[in-house]
Amino acid sequence: MLAEEMYEFRGYLQERGIIFCYSGYMTEEVLSGIGSAMKKKLELEKTEKSVSRTLFSIFVEQVQNVIRYSAEKITGDNDNNESARELRYGVLTVGEKDGMYFVSCCNLILKSDVERLDASLNHINTLDKDGLKLLYKETLKGDTPEGSKGAGVGFIDIARRAREFKHDFMDIDSDYSYFCLIAYL
Amino acid sequence: MENINIEAQERSPEVNFDFSANTFLLKGESYPEDVTDFYGPVIGKLEEYLDELTGGKVHFTFELIYFNSSTAKVLMGLFEILDEAAANDNDVLITWIFEEDDDNMEEMGEEFGEDLENAKFELKKIAV
Repeated sequence: MLAEEMYEFRGYLQERGIIFCYSGYMTEEVLSGIGSAMKKKLELEKTEKSVSRTLFSIFVEQVQNVIRYSAEKITGDNDNNESARELRYGVLTVGEKDGMYFVSCCNLILKSDVERLDASLNHINTLDKDGLKLLYKETLKGDTPEGSKGAGVGFIDIARRAREFKHDFMDIDSDYSYFCLIAYL
Repeated sequence: MENINIEAQERSPEVNFDFSANTFLLKGESYPEDVTDFYGPVIGKLEEYLDELTGGKVHFTFELIYFNSSTAKVLMGLFEILDEAAANDNDVLITWIFEEDDDNMEEMGEEFGEDLENAKFELKKIAV
């Protein structure tokens, strides 16, 4: 029974070409661990270096987004350092389908953030190579957006490296939405 | 100013700031957990030092294999600091080293370099 159920789960992942799947609380250690397993896999299979570099970059940006921004989190009170006392939840998949690698990350976000995030991702998606470069540099030079723990350039960076990316939202309840972003190489 | 020597880790680069020779190096991979924690103190010292320097010959070398977008923001700030030092009557050269098959890293170097108004900039290709 157990084996049957889990084999079915394995099949579900395999059908979708998923090579790595992680669902749970994301930490920088998780990032390092999955990252190095991924690098090793690509190296053993003699994957083209430019492909593995791009895949790794997109993976880092996606996972760090979850670590920093997922609205599904548990918070302790035993430390003054914000990142040390919280854990944020997300689902990561890395796979290859029809000869294309992809990295997808999903997590809960506050409903009040949906409009801003949707507008910003839609805007990024309309830009061509030069437009993305311009926005990237403007963002690097500007002040870090309020509430941002990183540079706020992660999505632009993904867009610049990926062949295409898609995002989607789903209403969960009055406070939260589910946010997914998938980037194809 | 006391020299800064930090060994490379899996996720953070080697930092080698030799203030007596005015040579500075960042080398390796950069996607630290907290960029401000890692870069804040070392760049603070560099800025403090360059603020006082005039008529110096400064050489900053970047030899990065990979950096994330949070690091990119730090690098942009660093280029601005170096350009300012060049405007302040110093001879500043920035060398951006990339592996020959890494077009993306070459492009990043070009993009950072193209905004410099005073510092000199060179791209240097190395064999893999």
